[in-house]
Amino acid sequence: MTLLALSCTLIFVFITMFVSFWKRLGLEKSIAIGSIRAAVQLLAIGYVLQYVFQTEHVAFIILIIAIMTVVATWNASRRGAGLKGVFWRIALTIGVMEAFMILFLIGLNLIEPTPQYIIPLSGMTIGNAMIVSGLFTTSIKREVEASRGEIETLLSLGASGTQAMQGPMKRAVKFSMIPTIDSLKTVGLVQLPGMMTGMIIAGADPVEAVRYQLLILFSHTGSAAMTSMILSMLYQKLFFTPDARLRKIERS
Amino acid sequence: MNALLEIRGLSKRIPSARESSGERVLLHKIDAVIREPESIAIMGGSGQGKSTLLRILACLDSADEGDMYVRGASCSSMEPAKWRSQVCYVAQHAVMLPGSVEDNLRTVSRLHGTVYEQPLAERLMKQSGLDHIPMKGPAGDLSGGEKQRLALIRSLMLRPAVLLLDEVTASLDAISGRLVEDILLEWHREEGAALVWVTHHADQASRAASRIWTLKDGTLTDSELSCESGISDETAGSVRER
Repeated sequence: MTLLALSCTLIFVFITMFVSFWKRLGLEKSIAIGSIRAAVQLLAIGYVLQYVFQTEHVAFIILIIAIMTVVATWNASRRGAGLKGVFWRIALTIGVMEAFMILFLIGLNLIEPTPQYIIPLSGMTIGNAMIVSGLFTTSIKREVEASRGEIETLLSLGASGTQAMQGPMKRAVKFSMIPTIDSLKTVGLVQLPGMMTGMIIAGADPVEAVRYQLLILFSHTGSAAMTSMILSMLYQKLFFTPDARLRKIERS
Repeated sequence: MNALLEIRGLSKRIPSARESSGERVLLHKIDAVIREPESIAIMGGSGQGKSTLLRILACLDSADEGDMYVRGASCSSMEPAKWRSQVCYVAQHAVMLPGSVEDNLRTVSRLHGTVYEQPLAERLMKQSGLDHIPMKGPAGDLSGGEKQRLALIRSLMLRPAVLLLDEVTASLDAISGRLVEDILLEWHREEGAALVWVTHHADQASRAASRIWTLKDGTLTDSELSCESGISDETAGSVRER
């Protein structure tokens, strides 16, 4: 794709800004900043990846994955404002998920152990875990606030903290899984996934592209379920005082 | 012999914008004892800490100082779940757990891995006038009065040594309120459970309690109540203020 052709796609950004201006939505500045940031970030990562792919040095792979994990954790943990210790819990979950997924895929020879495979797949795995972590954190906070009566009723009946939190945790896990399950059900009918589309446009065999997409979809579904399950275990004590009273969540 | 429930030096401070120190002493070094299964009413004006005291006794809120003992075992040295199994709190607004009426009744056996006492549940449902409601129906669809009675039966299934009743009849009509009172007093007589009622109604306290704990300015006054004497002027006065 030539730079001129790429520049032409800015028309879509201008259309969006025009609609915002016309309808007085006040989004022009955000759209402009967002578009510039997206372009700079993607171009930068393009050059970085080009260099890393050429050198194939393992330290660069680890560094990039570490940066991805920290940024994803920071973003998802903002949903947990008012809860202490959310950042480290999400970081641990994303780190464990990433290590498990990549080692699993390499171990089964599903991908080659090269930066070209590891970095994009890590990006997708970490991004997916970030979305699930953010949704789970938002949902469990809301559930605990809305279900204080239910939780304290169970505690009053002699339930342990884990037993009392079972209902809210179950509902939060289900909520965080909704986008993953929905995309699994509608993929190919409503949307052609980005990675598969990219491979086809780049000239790959569509069936080969589908195989990789299925790999991604299934691994994402597994990682989404595991992310929310791990978080539900790690979050258990966040909502209770050391002497097992239900904590009041500080307003952020 | 150890007392059934003992409160020693319990204090609680709460944040207050009105006080220069930024906090108010709600309960100040409270001592009280329930030596045997008896029925006690807690009275006092609004904001005197009646519900807070009950929630502390239920191990749902924490005190700043002091400790509590059930049959000689201190709360601070006991697993909170074990404490709550013996000292059970029933809230003013009944919360139905997700599921059917029967699911709610089975909660205690599910939580503690014990056998579900169906005959007891059926007897209490009949006594409470709830024997007509379908056991498989959603508990959330019941009326306010029915929910309160079901919540009470659910707590009784735990067979606690002490029942903490936080204005459990306040949101009920007169008939349902009396029904709940009768069930609890019968349970108290038959099962030997101690009852601690928070109430604003002097007549309810006269009917249901043998002693009154009056909370005022952070202190607790314990007074005997015989059927003949009724409620003391001081206690009734604090109720009339409302």
